[in-house]
Amino acid sequence: MRIDSVNPPIAVFLTDEGDVHAIDDTCTHQDASLAAGWVEDCRVECPLHESTFSLLTGEVDQPPAKRGVRVHEVELEGDDVLVELSDKAPQLPPGVTL
Amino acid sequence: MPITPDCRILIVGAGLAGYHTARGLRAHGHTGSITVIGEESRPAYDRPALSKAYLTGAVSEEDLHLDDPENPLDVTWVSGRGVVGLSQSPLGVETNDGGFHEADAVVITTGASACTLPPAESDSGSYVRPYVLRSMEDALALRDANLYGADVVVVGGGFLALEAAATCIGRGAESVTVAAGEELPGAKRLGRPVGQAIRIAHEARGIQFAPPGRAMGLRSSYSGETVRHEVVLEGGQQLEAHVVICAIGAKPRTEWLRDSGVPLTADTSAILCDDTGATSVPGVYAAGDCAQWASHSSGLRPVGHWQEAVEEAGVIAATLTGANPVSLQEPYFWSDQFDLRIQGAGRIHSADQHEVLEGTPEEGNLLVRYLRDGQETGILGINRLRDVKCWRKRRQIRSTPAQQTSAPSTGQIPTLSR
Ligand SMILES: Cc1cc2nc3c(=O)[nH]c(=O)nc-3n(C[C@H](O)[C@H](O)[C@H](O)COP(=O)(O)OP(=O)(O)OC[C@H]3O[C@@H](n4cnc5c(N)ncnc54)[C@H](O)[C@@H]3O)c2cc1C
Ligand code: FES
Repeated sequence: MRIDSVNPPIAVFLTDEGDVHAIDDTCTHQDASLAAGWVEDCRVECPLHESTFSLLTGEVDQPPAKRGVRVHEVELEGDDVLVELSDKAPQLPPGVTL
Repeated sequence: MPITPDCRILIVGAGLAGYHTARGLRAHGHTGSITVIGEESRPAYDRPALSKAYLTGAVSEEDLHLDDPENPLDVTWVSGRGVVGLSQSPLGVETNDGGFHEADAVVITTGASACTLPPAESDSGSYVRPYVLRSMEDALALRDANLYGADVVVVGGGFLALEAAATCIGRGAESVTVAAGEELPGAKRLGRPVGQAIRIAHEARGIQFAPPGRAMGLRSSYSGETVRHEVVLEGGQQLEAHVVICAIGAKPRTEWLRDSGVPLTADTSAILCDDTGATSVPGVYAAGDCAQWASHSSGLRPVGHWQEAVEEAGVIAATLTGANPVSLQEPYFWSDQFDLRIQGAGRIHSADQHEVLEGTPEEGNLLVRYLRDGQETGILGINRLRDVKCWRKRRQIRSTPAQQTSAPSTGQIPTLSR
């Protein structure tokens, strides 16, 4: 799920194992929403090209993206998902600004 | 044929397929030398943005470098050297400075060059080369051109032409006219609804379309410092322009192989390979836009797309290192035009039927599927990233050799279409 009330937007994923993860939504290669990507083995594959990002660490596995994304801390309180935004600088793709 | 891990591998052409071949070889543990010879003097770069964000200034040359400066590949880059010949024995290539580079395997990844419009037949006027889009140099020239107040004519109806046309609007052009062969660009290949969606989006931003017809040639004339061009269309009609951008296809860069014994296709001069990337000359392989693999020759796959070059490089890297064989996935391409992100996957080029699943041309949110003999063979989405990705992942061939499926054998031979 993409949440764009924050800037840059974040993506929140519920994995098949039932875990919830939050990372920056914008791929670091180009302006593509990772929330529209494919989740498997705790990684999300970008919907435009084949780079995949770890939902746990944000690191990227292969080109064309070169940089990882930020991971945000997630806490579950009943039915609510609380996300604590990372205070690191986001790695936005070239041409995309805050 | 696998080679030993310490063999010398030579890659000719420092572009997308060349970079990914080198990367794949190292990833599979190749320890021998890898040399990549490229005629351009800049570091290897990625091309898709050259007709898009690079032209508007949104991305810079550094953003497009393929190698990661923080984690560079362990390869020797020989830049600014054109390769002019191949020798089978000893195996190696000759460069335009007279040097000879010997190797145990040669991978050819020289890409393609942009076709251009010839001078129009006439007894008056001169010829000034139109802008084309293939290299960073080409794109830089167009990016530096002053479009403010200019009448721009873009010749070609493929994605490259439409992407380039889209960038001219924001740069202050007075008029932008696309001269394409079809009334609805792409309709023949992708179906009428997609052609309509593209035309509607472009017209809504002020782009005009000349009456459909083949462009035959170009004529230029000077009045003082300013050049005026006339694009002559089939049937004699002429389009006047200050700036002409020509995107009418590309030709494999194989002129240097003419007397090498490496077989080329008769029509396009592409390098003929089997589906492991091997040519009939031992130790010589080819990938990317310069190559035509068996699956392309038989019409199973289209050529000239980014994903094709990346995957072929992966196949060759696996072949050379004796790693588990890698399969080519469903073909895939994408294009960005204004706020349309078009993605196509599967065997669209050989479909005999299409069907709109969701959306309309007007809303720019089409999802279209393609069929052949009643079987679904492809999908195309406009701003449908999730749908297209899911379709591709569902059909992904995982690399356990036992599970490999064979593709349906249908269709005709497509040509470079960008
Ligand atoms: C402007 C543009 C936009 C594109 N946009 C898209 C897109 O949106 N989506 C998509 O799917 N595909 C797109 N493509 C297609 C994609 O970029 C190509 O399919 C891809 O670059 C092919 O890779 P390649 O390695 O075969 O060739 P290239 O990337 O062209 O690399 C070939 C290299 O070899 C060098 N070379 C050639 N001859 C010699 C020689 N004799 N000696 C030494 N070096 C030589 C060339 O200078 C070049 O650097 C686009 C292409 C262009 C040109
Ligand atoms: S946009 Fe994500 S990998 Fe290219």
